[in-house]
Amino acid sequence: MKKTTEQQIDQSARIAVSFFVASAGLWLLAAAFLAYVAAAKLTDPLFLSSFEFFTYGKVKISQANAFVYGWGGNSIFAVSLWIISRLSQSPVRGTPFLLAAGTIWNLAITFGLLGILDGHMLGHELLEMPKDVWPALLISYLVISFLILVVFRSRKKKSTIAPQWFIVAALIWFPCLMIFAWNGLEINPGRGTLTSILSMWFGQNIIWLWLTPVALGCAYYIIPSVLNRPIDKYYLAIFGFWCIAALAPWSVVHHLEGGPVPMWVPAVGTVMSIAMVFPIAVASTNFHSTAFQDISKVWNYLPLRFVIFGTLSYTISSYIGVIFSIPAVAKLTQFSIINEFHFNQRVYGFFSMIIFGIVYHILPQITGREIGSAAKNFHFWTSAFGVFGLLLAYLIGGLTHGVLAQQPSLGWVTVIDSVKPYFLITEFAFVILGFSQLVFVLNVWKVLVPNPFSTIDSTVESKAV
Amino acid sequence: MNNIFKFSGYIFLTLAFAWLAFVVGAKNQYGDLSQTSESLEENGSIIKDADLYPQSMAGIAQLGAKEYLSLGCVTCHTQQVRSEESGFDVERGWGKRPSVPRDYILQEEVLIGHNRVGPDLANVGLRDYSNEWLHKHLFMPQMEVEGSICQPSPFLYKVSGEPSEKTIEAISADNKMIYIEPSIQASRIVAYLQSLEQNYELPEVSFIESDIEADELVETAGTQTIDKESSSLPSWLSDQINSGKEIYMKAAPGGGLCFTCHQPNGLGIAGQFPPLADSDWVLGDKERLIKISIYGLMGEIEVNGVKYNNVMVPPGIPPGSLTDNQIADVLTYIRNDWGNSASSVSAEEVATVRESIKGRAPMQMWTAAELNKKSDSE
Amino acid sequence: MSDENLVDEHVRLSEVKHEPTKGFLQAPLIFVFVFGCLIFICSIQLAHTTNDFQLHPPIEVVDLSPEEIEAQRIDKKLKSGEKVFKARCASCHQANGLGITGQYPPLAGSKWATTDSGLITNIILKGLKGEIIVKGEKYGTSAAINMAAVPIGDREIANVVTYVRKSWGNESSEVFEEDVATYRSSSADQLEQWTGEQLMSLYPESFTD
Repeated sequence: MKKTTEQQIDQSARIAVSFFVASAGLWLLAAAFLAYVAAAKLTDPLFLSSFEFFTYGKVKISQANAFVYGWGGNSIFAVSLWIISRLSQSPVRGTPFLLAAGTIWNLAITFGLLGILDGHMLGHELLEMPKDVWPALLISYLVISFLILVVFRSRKKKSTIAPQWFIVAALIWFPCLMIFAWNGLEINPGRGTLTSILSMWFGQNIIWLWLTPVALGCAYYIIPSVLNRPIDKYYLAIFGFWCIAALAPWSVVHHLEGGPVPMWVPAVGTVMSIAMVFPIAVASTNFHSTAFQDISKVWNYLPLRFVIFGTLSYTISSYIGVIFSIPAVAKLTQFSIINEFHFNQRVYGFFSMIIFGIVYHILPQITGREIGSAAKNFHFWTSAFGVFGLLLAYLIGGLTHGVLAQQPSLGWVTVIDSVKPYFLITEFAFVILGFSQLVFVLNVWKVLVPNPFSTIDSTVESKAV
Repeated sequence: MNNIFKFSGYIFLTLAFAWLAFVVGAKNQYGDLSQTSESLEENGSIIKDADLYPQSMAGIAQLGAKEYLSLGCVTCHTQQVRSEESGFDVERGWGKRPSVPRDYILQEEVLIGHNRVGPDLANVGLRDYSNEWLHKHLFMPQMEVEGSICQPSPFLYKVSGEPSEKTIEAISADNKMIYIEPSIQASRIVAYLQSLEQNYELPEVSFIESDIEADELVETAGTQTIDKESSSLPSWLSDQINSGKEIYMKAAPGGGLCFTCHQPNGLGIAGQFPPLADSDWVLGDKERLIKISIYGLMGEIEVNGVKYNNVMVPPGIPPGSLTDNQIADVLTYIRNDWGNSASSVSAEEVATVRESIKGRAPMQMWTAAELNKKSDSE
Repeated sequence: MSDENLVDEHVRLSEVKHEPTKGFLQAPLIFVFVFGCLIFICSIQLAHTTNDFQLHPPIEVVDLSPEEIEAQRIDKKLKSGEKVFKARCASCHQANGLGITGQYPPLAGSKWATTDSGLITNIILKGLKGEIIVKGEKYGTSAAINMAAVPIGDREIANVVTYVRKSWGNESSEVFEEDVATYRSSSADQLEQWTGEQLMSLYPESFTD
């Protein structure tokens, strides 16, 4: 059988991956806009307040959904398609179906968001879109992931490595989660706070078992691929993977600490969350001890720079998350804007940065066109500043919020008054982030859409073979 | 790891075990969790003829829950009182006891939330907010609570310049009087908020002793100042009222000694000192009131249909020594406590009246006839 | 590295046993130790915070003796009574129960408060006017300063009277809600405030020295 070359695989994947990357970019901009509106509404409550369409709650929730499903979903499709087909050395098949399913996915999210803004949102975390769009989401997802898994199944070498485990697992986890949630929240809902438990479980698992593994898989792929050395202490990777698989679904419910649920639910969650230290340490060791052996190459090759930024964010935010799951700390921070810190660190600082890196790595190879390094550099620095500012504001603001809220003598307005400066900082940070995301989309646009006025450079940035 | 079916199976199992525990296991544990009486008999059965809790909300409140959800309020508000070792919620006065799963079994939309940009709402129905206050808060939170970042929802109301029986008086951002008419959605939301309370005990949890016992709160004459946050008054007004209350209750120089006759509860003494609560003299013409405060009153006077005949020295220690500001404050106070609710009195108004009666001899107390004649002729 | 090499290299790493590099031998021990510690800490956490995997939060079952239960009940009543006193009575009678000489009679050590509970209860129910002598001093001489009836419910009256009768050195008996109800109905004919003489004639034993 003729060995399929990397170029042939890139060629087969080109259309589908370009489509998904383009959709992802557009959703990123939509989410950035909504994030800015939400942050602005916190500093100036009268901003857009006369429109029922744009209440703070609706905007915030549609931002989260646009980000996770629109940007997250499409970018997951893009990178998993490419990485799986490259590692399987088997071409992408069924591109028309991929495109059709991708379009339905995007349309479903659009209608879902319009439904939220029109006042039909549901009360489940990250599943607020009206349930009329759920079948469309699920079916289009199943089509896309089926086609990716077909490619995986037809791989030349039967043995698998870490990137494949994480990505395939993520692809399988999503529909399982969705079906469990659909059953427990809409078809056969439990009474009272049973729905709250399931809704929290689903919402957090989307982050931990869908976005996170794909990003980890990307890191496991690109670091050895570019640095031309295998992952350091690779024998730990399998333990790390199965620990995340086994512990993460249990650990996410620790957010329910002290709530109107059976005590053992958040207690088990806390315990498992503390145990998560182990797989986080494994992933961190794998990535960083490999990367720091060749730090100059990491710095100079921009996609890798993005990825290592992401992996460092992952390590730091996960450890901080473990600390915040301890009940003594959660007493203060449980309902404060530390939650925002956690969510944004995960999706902006970790997931997005890794996706940016891998997309910048993929695009030149599938399009044959290079993106100027100045543009990428600019994107990197604005992103880094934006993310850093955002997270610092939420972290310090959240701690202030939690500590002050604890004092019964302080009225609530006094508590919020002290947090308002941090809201202002997040507003600025979202402006910078929005700008950096615009730069990303322009960069992507430049290579996806051939511009007769720019020089077409078909040499790909060198990487050692 | 290499066989996709086995791999998928294991992946599914990792989720399934967690699902079994948290969803199926918890559901079984909830079992047929249902209403129960506040405590149980010796043998564990429900007490006969006792009230059962939790109680389901009125229909309009349930519709309000859906409106609450559709507006996205759950993004900023939680509805759960955490247990004492897990949080400070009871200490903050957000509930008399921690919330338990049973509290939510009759709710169609369980919106316990996970973020507190705004205060917890599990017991907002207990916090003595009037419907009017809640409507005004929904319309423009900054009107009631200065510095609030709660989002206004003006689209839920119709603003008009004319009062009617459906409208609520409010003060706009530029200090003008406006009248807002709540829409159906707004009424539903307010009904929902008023129904949010966990004011009952259950066999598994009882009230926690705290300094704030809502059912023991009595009218506090003299000890409690009006809390700015929960008051339905703008801050300048509540400042005036607080200051006036101090003057009313004070029996030392700078005070008015008013309470000694009219009593801290504003009810006076039957046959001797007329009441101020619900009194037409207090709620009515301001000029009469101001004049009495400057010169005092003697002789027969009819208050709420009851005749009194006594001597009132002008308030102050020494008598008649209250300044314009103090008179304005104490009159604003008596017009706004004990169920009274009338417009405030400003120092300028007092000064004007004082100027107009400049020629009157010192300590020449008014008679009721004089005061009524004067106001009739205007 | 090409993808093919990537896969080959990592598969080889996971399958082939290579000789221990520096620190490799320690790694499993360290991980076992760390894992063991984690399990230990987590088990303790679980044991303490799950209430035996019950649905309901732990109910504090405190074995109290009857005396302790009684003491808690009285304590709660006194706290409640203190609140009522501070809100309704302290502005005249002062928080320390000593009143103001010549104006407001003291309650500490006063026969009017500490003897028959009907005395003080009736005063709260209907008010008091005219001159009385409390601890050797005259009070109520000025018509301006009399006591009006306090419009609170029976339970509050029982609580505040109990508080007065058990504070500031007073050691008198408790008053219950039913007693107050009885006094209320038996004084239904009294439309005005009580006078001192009326009460002294109703409760002569209180004033015999």
